[in-house]
Amino acid sequence: MAFENTVDVNHPVHEVRSEAIKNFENLGFPSKKMEEWKYTSLKSLLKSDMSVFPKKESNLDYKDVKQYFIHEIESYKIVFIDGVYSSHLSETSHEGLDVCLMSAALSKPKYRLLIENYFNKIAVRDGLTSLNTAFSKEGAFINIPRGVVVEKPIQILHFSTGMESSLMTQPRNLIVVGENAHVQIIERHQSLTDNPTLTNSVTEIFANKRGIVDYYKIQNDKDAASLIDNTYISQQRNSHVSVHTFSLGGKLTRNNLQFFQKGEYLDSTLKGITITDKKQHVDHSTLVHHAQPNCESHQDYKGIYADKSTGVFNGRIVVEKEAQKTNGFQQSNNILLDDTATINAKPQLEIFADDVRCSHGCTIGQLDDEALLYLRSRGIPKKEATALLMFGFANNVLESVKIPELKQRITRLIADKLGVNLGFDL
Amino acid sequence: MLKIKNLHASVEGKEILKGINLEVNPGEVHAIMGPNGSGKSTLASVIAGNEDFEITDGSIELEGEELNEMAPEERAHQGVFLSFQYPVEIPGVTVTNFMKTAINETRKARGQEEMPANEMLKKIREKSELLEIDRKFLSRSLNEGFSGGEKKRNEIFQLAMMEPKLAILDETDSGLDIDALKIVANGVNRLKTDKNATIVITHYQRLLDYIIPDHVHVLLNGKIVKSGGKELALELEEKGYDWIKQEAAV
Amino acid sequence: MAYTEEELKKELETKEYEYGFYTDIESDTFPVGLNEDIVRAISMKKEEPEWMTEWRLEAFRVWKEMEEPEWANVKYKKPDFQAISYYSAPMNKPKYDSLDEVDPELLDTFKRLGISLEEQKKLAGVAVDVVMDSVSVATTFKKTLAEKGIIFCSISEAIKEHPELVKKYIGSVVPRKDNFYAALNSAVFSDGSFCYIPKGVRCPMELSTYFRINQAGTGQFERTLVIADEGSYVSYLEGCTAPMRDENQLHAAVVELIALDDAEIKYSTVQNWFPGDKEGKGGVFNFVTKRGLCETNAKISWTQVETGSAVTWKYPSCVLKGDNSIGEFYSIAVTNNYQQADTGTKMIHLGRNTRSTIISKGISAGKSQNSYRGLVQINSRAENARNFSQCDSLLMGNECGAHTFPYIEAKNKTSQVEHEATTSKIGEDQIFYCNQRGIDTEKAIALIVNGFSKEVLNKLPMEFAVEAQKLLEISLEGSVG
Repeated sequence: MAFENTVDVNHPVHEVRSEAIKNFENLGFPSKKMEEWKYTSLKSLLKSDMSVFPKKESNLDYKDVKQYFIHEIESYKIVFIDGVYSSHLSETSHEGLDVCLMSAALSKPKYRLLIENYFNKIAVRDGLTSLNTAFSKEGAFINIPRGVVVEKPIQILHFSTGMESSLMTQPRNLIVVGENAHVQIIERHQSLTDNPTLTNSVTEIFANKRGIVDYYKIQNDKDAASLIDNTYISQQRNSHVSVHTFSLGGKLTRNNLQFFQKGEYLDSTLKGITITDKKQHVDHSTLVHHAQPNCESHQDYKGIYADKSTGVFNGRIVVEKEAQKTNGFQQSNNILLDDTATINAKPQLEIFADDVRCSHGCTIGQLDDEALLYLRSRGIPKKEATALLMFGFANNVLESVKIPELKQRITRLIADKLGVNLGFDL
Repeated sequence: MLKIKNLHASVEGKEILKGINLEVNPGEVHAIMGPNGSGKSTLASVIAGNEDFEITDGSIELEGEELNEMAPEERAHQGVFLSFQYPVEIPGVTVTNFMKTAINETRKARGQEEMPANEMLKKIREKSELLEIDRKFLSRSLNEGFSGGEKKRNEIFQLAMMEPKLAILDETDSGLDIDALKIVANGVNRLKTDKNATIVITHYQRLLDYIIPDHVHVLLNGKIVKSGGKELALELEEKGYDWIKQEAAV
Repeated sequence: MAYTEEELKKELETKEYEYGFYTDIESDTFPVGLNEDIVRAISMKKEEPEWMTEWRLEAFRVWKEMEEPEWANVKYKKPDFQAISYYSAPMNKPKYDSLDEVDPELLDTFKRLGISLEEQKKLAGVAVDVVMDSVSVATTFKKTLAEKGIIFCSISEAIKEHPELVKKYIGSVVPRKDNFYAALNSAVFSDGSFCYIPKGVRCPMELSTYFRINQAGTGQFERTLVIADEGSYVSYLEGCTAPMRDENQLHAAVVELIALDDAEIKYSTVQNWFPGDKEGKGGVFNFVTKRGLCETNAKISWTQVETGSAVTWKYPSCVLKGDNSIGEFYSIAVTNNYQQADTGTKMIHLGRNTRSTIISKGISAGKSQNSYRGLVQINSRAENARNFSQCDSLLMGNECGAHTFPYIEAKNKTSQVEHEATTSKIGEDQIFYCNQRGIDTEKAIALIVNGFSKEVLNKLPMEFAVEAQKLLEISLEGSVG
């Protein structure tokens, strides 16, 4: 496979990139032979000749894409079109914090130290991440200094035009949250046409002592859009990081979400709602690595699958010998709506410490017929009643969304996905 | 029977018991009262040999034998029984199996033969009737899913089964409704002889209406600050602990 | 002062393998190495018909092309398959008609194992087939069984006496090419047990096989085939021990169960192969393929207590082919010192209304690694399939590991799958509570572990439960504490 784009040799992260490209050359793309990719194949998405940067830049009008923003609230915005920054759609800042561009962070001397300390420090060295690192050029760079509580959420939007069929964009985000700082981030990948698109995104998040990060991923892309999302989180003492992933659209979505706990008394939260149909494939592959004592992790994933779609939940909790008094919980509940849909689940515990409380639960079932009958006997039509039950099933994941407008938006997206016009606030 | 002399004990370097002196004779019932955090439960734990607590000074003797260096099970073999404030759950181990093991291990340690099965069954029947315990209850996992009252009643059932010289009841009345309290107290009273002794640890006077103490001690800040007869308990019920605190401060 | 967990662990480490003795019986052992000639020689030695020889050779050819699997969570030095002798039989007499003819020394061995044949005969009414270094030495109770039409004999005998049954079913559940060890076993198996229960017959006693590796440098490759014809019932017990040796011994067995319509098979194993010493030297590599096929309304129940072996790789499975069939798996796996176990089950739901239950209890101590690996697969036509799985791990000490790798694959919307797993340790408060009631720490741990394992112990037949409990306690005394 040839990448026609060349690399800038004079760049400060050149060494990191060349190591990454070597890595990728050795490892290549993952195959189903690999345990972690047992249930997901990228074969159909990969082409023999792919490019990672667009040949032509595109422009968009805000009114055409407004619907993809949580526009009801004040927010910072970092917007990309086919991986290229769109300044007129964005609202960045350097006042008391940095909400800006990866390209700027990589090139400007004042960010040099941050880049040296954080860039590619937590991302794992697998094939896909290495590919991204090798061609990392653009993405969001967010730096919240110590003690800053960011007043408004930050929205990161990646638009794809699908104009170039062999494009595999490589967004790269870096988020550094200082001691006692607090930030909320909403991320969305959206293609604007029905052409196939493929994104291989890497995000690194660092939460320092007592930092709080709430991260929301909206995955409601078009039928032909595919996304490989790699998110790596490093947490220090007493920090709280939560990631919510809402996977509703897209052809193939693979979420590699990995938490590395590096201090005591911190907690990590991973939640998700997945609703699929029409041959969609959504794979959640999570890892929580407990390496320090007295930490917690909570995972709660709900999945509803219909119409030839496939869901994968591959959740791992690793508790190292040092991580005594760990509380690790993992829950994966799934509903199959018809016999053409498939769910493959593999909730794993790997435990090396003796004084821990870890549990995982995984269920596969169906909607409660009796409850359905009950609702219908109260005059609610079958479709709406079914939707209500599904919503109820997934609701406790939504409950912990802290931005009301976002919660409302996701509720609407779910209603749309289920083909009903319900507010669910009944 | 029990002689505690100048007992000092601490947990994680913090001193909780600051010189306790107590003597309990056969046939006696002693009540130890005191506000929360005064060291009541610590005293019970230290007598039973809980290794979370370190004895820094003083001694505990049972019938002339010093207990200080004995392991908890050795103390049990000597005849010390603690009714736990928070009885521990052991999944999969039935009450009967647990008691059988406990009794036979104790007999073994005393150089006695194991108790024959029919004798064991007879005793279980007898004692469960005494405490009005449903026999089905005895084949449930130890304390698992028991209500607060069931746990406490089960503790006293074990007391009845083990027939110790010294029984320490740590807050046995908490979590009991009045009917259960009567059953438990009745059980304890029926088990009383002139050869054994009981220490009742409680925050409230309520239990002492049913188990009448010969002596009442008030524990405050790791020390016994006042001792008296059963009327002291009533006085405490009426006036609270403040006056004692003031008296002790003087 | 009280006995600390540390002290206990030490004591456990030094506790020697109780069954580590070597029976001095002359053996007829083949030269080491494996090729087509050896396979032919094994077959010839056993006076097998031509079709069996060919079956073995085909398996050998398949095996030659295969690679040893590496996906299990175990690390060990791969055995050199050319350095093993593939056949070893006690020499005195290859076959005994009654117990009286059995070498007294051999009988003594069984006594030391605590399974005196006579005693079992009298007390439990257990029919025992003893396989020592791969050759079946005694099948008791043959006559009683024969009256019911039950065939219980060595597989070698079955090949000669009941070729139609063997031919029809051998390799039907575990095909020769199923996996590396199954292929190897198919090529070289030296003996094992065969059992057939006719239609509608309820086997009046527990059938039992004891396996023992005795000779140095030999591998043991038994083959067990149990066929329960329509509406029949059988409970089958399997026990295993091996003497202490500081080299690794290989054990690669295949067990196939066939439960025809409305039949039920209970298969219980107590595995106590030599686990290696406390430095992790020696011990048995236990690479076993066990699988059962359930036809309509049939039920197969696997119960295992695994305390031995240096490395265990074992997944007793059920293929729930018939509608309304039931598969069960109850397992206790104890690992200590440097033992490694990767064990679990596969429940393949093909038929409608099929049900499966998995209860797995893992106890890890010392520097051991204990993994549960299981697959629950619900096929798209398996309407109303149900599975419930529970995997609990108990860790003792901070140098061992407990791991859970459940694979769940569902393709039917009416299926219901529930998986739960927990990990815990023995609480200090639990130990203190027991201590206060006069129970010392070692006994307290045994009691708590027993309670932890109870759901599985309860599934064992009476005679076995007692032995299993004893075995747990021995492993506990010495290992888990």
